[in-house]
Amino acid sequence: MKRLRVLKLGWEFPPLINGGLGIACLGISRALAKLVDLSVIVPKSTPNVQFEGFKLIGLNNLEATELLTSEEKYRYESFARIKQVPIHLDPYSIEETSVEQIRMQPGGEVAFAKTTQVQLDRFKLDDLYGGDLAMKVIEFSKVAAKLAMLQDFDIVHAHDWMTFLAGVEVKKATGKPLVVHVHASQYDRAGVDARGWIYEVEKYGMEEADCVIPVSQYTGEVCAGHYGIDPAKIRPVHNGADPVDVFQTKKKFPEKLVLFLGRLTAQKGPEFFLEIATKVLEKNKHVRFVMAGTGERLRPLIESGAFRGLGGYFHFTGFLNKEKVHELLSMTDVYCMPSVSEPFGLSALEAAQFGIPAVISKQSGCAEVLKGALAADFWDTDLMAKHISDLLNDEQLREKVVRQAAEDIASSTWDAAAANVVEIYHELAS
Amino acid sequence: MKSKAPASAPNVSLYFQVHQPNRLVPYDFFRIGEHAFYEDDLLNAEILSKVSEKCYLPANAMFEKLLKKHKGSFRIAMSISGTVIEQMKAHRPDVLKSFQSLVATGHVELLAETYYHSLAYLHSKKEFERQVEKHLDLMEEVFHVRPRVFRNTELIYNNAIAAQAETMGFDGILAEGVHWSLNGKSPNFLYRAPELTRLKTILRNPGLSDDIGFRFSDKNWSEWPLTPEKFATWLAESEGDVVNLFMDYESIGEHQWEDTGIFEFWKSLPQAVIEEDLRWVTPGEVVDLYRASKEYDCHWPTSWADGERDLTAWIGNVLQQEAIGKIHRLESEVLAAKDDDLTDVWAKLQTSDHFYWMSTKEGTDGGVHQYFSPYGSPYDAYIYFMNALADLQIRLKA
Repeated sequence: MKRLRVLKLGWEFPPLINGGLGIACLGISRALAKLVDLSVIVPKSTPNVQFEGFKLIGLNNLEATELLTSEEKYRYESFARIKQVPIHLDPYSIEETSVEQIRMQPGGEVAFAKTTQVQLDRFKLDDLYGGDLAMKVIEFSKVAAKLAMLQDFDIVHAHDWMTFLAGVEVKKATGKPLVVHVHASQYDRAGVDARGWIYEVEKYGMEEADCVIPVSQYTGEVCAGHYGIDPAKIRPVHNGADPVDVFQTKKKFPEKLVLFLGRLTAQKGPEFFLEIATKVLEKNKHVRFVMAGTGERLRPLIESGAFRGLGGYFHFTGFLNKEKVHELLSMTDVYCMPSVSEPFGLSALEAAQFGIPAVISKQSGCAEVLKGALAADFWDTDLMAKHISDLLNDEQLREKVVRQAAEDIASSTWDAAAANVVEIYHELAS
Repeated sequence: MKSKAPASAPNVSLYFQVHQPNRLVPYDFFRIGEHAFYEDDLLNAEILSKVSEKCYLPANAMFEKLLKKHKGSFRIAMSISGTVIEQMKAHRPDVLKSFQSLVATGHVELLAETYYHSLAYLHSKKEFERQVEKHLDLMEEVFHVRPRVFRNTELIYNNAIAAQAETMGFDGILAEGVHWSLNGKSPNFLYRAPELTRLKTILRNPGLSDDIGFRFSDKNWSEWPLTPEKFATWLAESEGDVVNLFMDYESIGEHQWEDTGIFEFWKSLPQAVIEEDLRWVTPGEVVDLYRASKEYDCHWPTSWADGERDLTAWIGNVLQQEAIGKIHRLESEVLAAKDDDLTDVWAKLQTSDHFYWMSTKEGTDGGVHQYFSPYGSPYDAYIYFMNALADLQIRLKA
């Protein structure tokens, strides 16, 4: 088989990360680079970071002159399908002459305004999800499409909704097959009644794609059921986990430690963790619960914890850097992930690497990988509490769960994930 | 000199509160079990020094001069918490000396309070008595006096606290003149709590006290700028037996900076009041001079804090309620350990400021809470406090 050339579109990328997306993109890119020729376009990258085997292009580091040769070749297509008045989609240029630069073409297409340095420089400002995110997504699509025309590749692969429009643009501009990767969906973030622009973009991207890769079967079911995507083109590929330097730290207190780690948003189920902790502590005061992370729910959670009288046994750490997270993992006895909807849950694998048994919700993709983890529905806090108590009290059960997890993670590598993805590439390219 | 004041003009009693809390380090989860010292010594020393330079030292010097000059016709009262005296002993003995020198003029009456400036009465009578006795001992040790009049932390008061103070042998107790509790009665008289025979309740005049304590520097206030002469006429026009001006000592120079003219105001006020033919008295004298003929029935605890003048500044939300409840619940365990250091660590966590910083009130009062807080938010205050408490619990079990 010939070595394929892949253009990847990403949003966050280490070291500029916000959540699991950037880590997953890096993991899969590194592994893919061994199998294909890879270049990655992201809105923002750190200028001097080099990655082995692939090229990372941050639009913030791009010069407008680099796009010159593709300026006239490109036509505004897919946006016109989403919104009927395409001209309104370019109101963001702060150049006074921008209105004249948008030209109607015969057939109702709109040619993009020439990308100016001012537009590119905007990718240098504030964080990836801050400010006018919609504007950033649209600007990214336009520039990425132009940039794509300067490159030779066989497949375009877009990661999560922020890059889906760009993926569709590239597909339309070049005719190459489009793969969209679903790391998380609006369904996870906002629940069953999630609708709106982001939902529409996700649905549109998946519909236009030649293949949809969800990070779990669970998420695949969301794509099919919630977004109405043809199950025939949904091909789940589990994430891998990068090996970490595992170490053990002796706790400075005698109690056992149960850990919740993640953004404090409704999706991650932190309220359920509080409820679980309340139920465990009712019977066993020899446990400490730690909620690590921050988010919009932090303050209400602190209040709820105080109301439940958990203070002194239930600890909030706020945001922790990687070193602190590892320090915490190194002293944790049980990992708990009661997510309401978790596409994958990389952190549970990381916990498994530290030899920590996990109690996870059935609504978590990683339950498909960690076959030995004790699971319960996220709302079934009684069962969750029972699982935790069992792991704290039953050494045999604990050993069994840890041993199974060690086996499971041994096969959960990014190389395995990349091999599956490449198989899909070849099917599409042939 | 011809008397300007009407025959019924009241006397004036002045009392200052001196207190600094022991602020905690940002005691995060990773310190539990490892870091046995909770207080931010450096920060506490720094703030003590700042307040000393702006308020304690210049104000003490000013008042010492005024007291000596007026030879007893100008007198003041002070209550100095145990925590601030400990801080002065450790970091600024020179400041403690200046307080001692002020008291040595013989014209300063010291009041009794809880050593740790705590809300102990609300949770444990035993702990409350221990802290009041400890403070009395400290007053004897440092100033060689034994206070006769009691003021509870932040003027927290009700019938039960008054009864407790009488039982402990005090002659008078200070309280806030709270309109919703006074029901139209004037704060300018002495009162008796129901069923009590001896103890007299002395009520703060909130309007006139806050004129100097808060509004003095407010340029939007219709009476700004306030002169000592104008204020003295207001005092002279007041009805009743005694106008009680109670405020934080730090309002001179710290809450209201020197450039507001606050020092000039105080320099001239004693003479301006005397010229209105009013007498300066201290709470102890007030108790001797006047009968407490009227009853003041105060069930619900009052205080001088926030617009509500109740306990919501410290126990208004669940964070505060849990923190204060949990620290007091350790009492029997702590005392059973018979470890003086541990008892002291525990008692210092009772200082009311810890809970004051956990208030989630908004508006003007919320702004004041946050102004005094060493932490980024009331939630941080709660988290650090509860982590320190968890560590203390571990040490108790060890």
